Amino acid sequence: MSGLAKTPMFDEHVKLGGKMVPFAGFEMPVQYKNGALKEYTFVREGGAGIFDITHMGQVRVSGADSLAFLQYVTTNDVSKLVEGQVHYSALLNDSGTFIDDITTYKISESEYYLCINAANRHKDVAHLQQQAAAFDVQVNDESDDTTLLALQGAAAQTALQPLLDTDLESIGYYRFAQVTVAGRKGIISRTGYTGEDGFEIYIPNAIAVDIWKQLLANGAEPIGLAARDMLRTEMGYALYGHEISDSVTPVEAKLMWITKLDKGDFIGKTAVETRRSEGPQLRLIAIKLTERGIPREHYKVYADGAETGEITSGMFSPMAGGVALAYVKPEHAESGALTVEIRGKAVPAERTTLPFVRSNVRR
Amino acid sequence: MTIPADLKYTKDHEWVRIEGDVATFGISDHAQEALGDIVFVELPEIGRTIDAGEAYAVVESVKAVSDVYAPVAGEVIEVNEELEGEPEKVNTDAYGAGWIAKVKMSGETIELMSDDEYNTFLEE
Repeated sequence: MSGLAKTPMFDEHVKLGGKMVPFAGFEMPVQYKNGALKEYTFVREGGAGIFDITHMGQVRVSGADSLAFLQYVTTNDVSKLVEGQVHYSALLNDSGTFIDDITTYKISESEYYLCINAANRHKDVAHLQQQAAAFDVQVNDESDDTTLLALQGAAAQTALQPLLDTDLESIGYYRFAQVTVAGRKGIISRTGYTGEDGFEIYIPNAIAVDIWKQLLANGAEPIGLAARDMLRTEMGYALYGHEISDSVTPVEAKLMWITKLDKGDFIGKTAVETRRSEGPQLRLIAIKLTERGIPREHYKVYADGAETGEITSGMFSPMAGGVALAYVKPEHAESGALTVEIRGKAVPAERTTLPFVRSNVRR
Repeated sequence: MTIPADLKYTKDHEWVRIEGDVATFGISDHAQEALGDIVFVELPEIGRTIDAGEAYAVVESVKAVSDVYAPVAGEVIEVNEELEGEPEKVNTDAYGAGWIAKVKMSGETIELMSDDEYNTFLEE
C-alpha cells in the first residue's frame, strides 16, 4: 500500500490486530481482532469506543471578515453560533450541489475551525482559499499536524475525564472547549457520528499516541471503519459520496435544515431556491426490508414493480435488520409498494423513519 | 487456523466432506476469518442441481458479499437452515455447525486438495 499516508497511531493499530485498508489516501483499520460486530456492540451497549479519524481535515479560518466569509461559503447561519458552539453545515457549488459537508466551530468573533472530509480535503481547501481572496481572512489547512480521535459511547466521558482539568460535564451537545491535554492545546467537542454520547478530540500529532494509550488504559476499546459505518448508517447520518455528492442539492438530501435561505447571500443559494421551487428530482428515503436480506449500496429500488431509484447506504443492523437509505423518484417517496432487487430477486421493503435505532446523544 | 485432515479443500477456500455418495460443503477457517463477521447466508433450494465450481450459496459479512462455489457436482438434498437465524456459526464453527449444504454427488468435481496440500496452498 505504497503512497498511502499513515496516522500517528498506525503502529498501535497493527499491534491491536487492526486489518489495515486503503481509505481516503490513508491506511486505516477496517476492524480489529474481535471483529466489526463486537466493536459495534461495545459502542452501542455502554462502552467507550475510540476511533482514529485523523484522515479527516481541519481548516482554521481567522481574520476580521471570518463571519462574512463563512456566511458566504457555508450553508448554515454562522451568525447564530456562539463562542464554544459547533454546527453541521455544507459547502456548495454555484449549482447548489455539495462540495462537502462540514462542521463549523466558533472559537471567537474572528476565528473559526472547520472539520472537513478526508477525500475532499484538497478540493475544499482550494475552494476556500480561492473564495477568501475577496475577504480579509486567512485560511490555514492544519490537517497534517492534527490528530482527530472520536470517543463514542456511554462510557466516553468516564474514560476521557481523567486526562483533563476541564470539566467535561460543562460541555453540552454540539459545544466544545479548548483544553490543555498532555501539556498541549487541543479542542474537545461533544459531537460524533454514532448516535451515542461522546466526544471528538483534536490534538497535535506529537501527543496522539500518548492520548490513545491513556484512553485505552481507561477502558476505551478501538473501533474500525466497518463498525463506524454501521453506527452512522443506523442513525441515517449522510456520508459524502453516498447520500451527498456534487450531483445532489440539500433539497434532495434532506439537508435544508442546515441550509438557511433567509441569512443572506451564499454560494449555491440561488440554485437551491430554484430546485426547491421546482421540486427535487429525487428524494432520500429510509427503508427496511420486511423479509430476510441485506440491502446494499447501488442495489436498485422498485415501486409497484418499476425501477424508481437506488440505495446509497445499506446494512445489516443487529437491532433493526436490513435497513437502507435510498434515492427514489419523488412520487414514490410516500406511496407505492417497494422492493429491493437482491441478486435478481425482489425483496419487499417498507418506508420507515430515521434514526433506524434509538439515538442516545445528550441533548 | 485449523485444517481438518478428513476434509478436501478447493482453491476458493471451500471444504467438502465425502461420505459415500453424499458430499457436505462449507467454507474453510481461513475463508471465514478473511471475510470477518458473517451476518447473512443465502442457502440453495433443496432439489437444485449444481455443477462443480458453480456458485451455490452466498455469504455476506458486514462489508462484503461473497459467492460460495460447489467443490463437486450434485443435487442439493439438505441445507443448514440454522444459518438463517445464526449465520455466525460459519465463523465460530466453520467445519461443524457452520456447514452450508449437502449434495447427492453426480460424479464431477473441481480440483480438490488434501489438508496438507491446502496448507501448502495457503502458505504460498
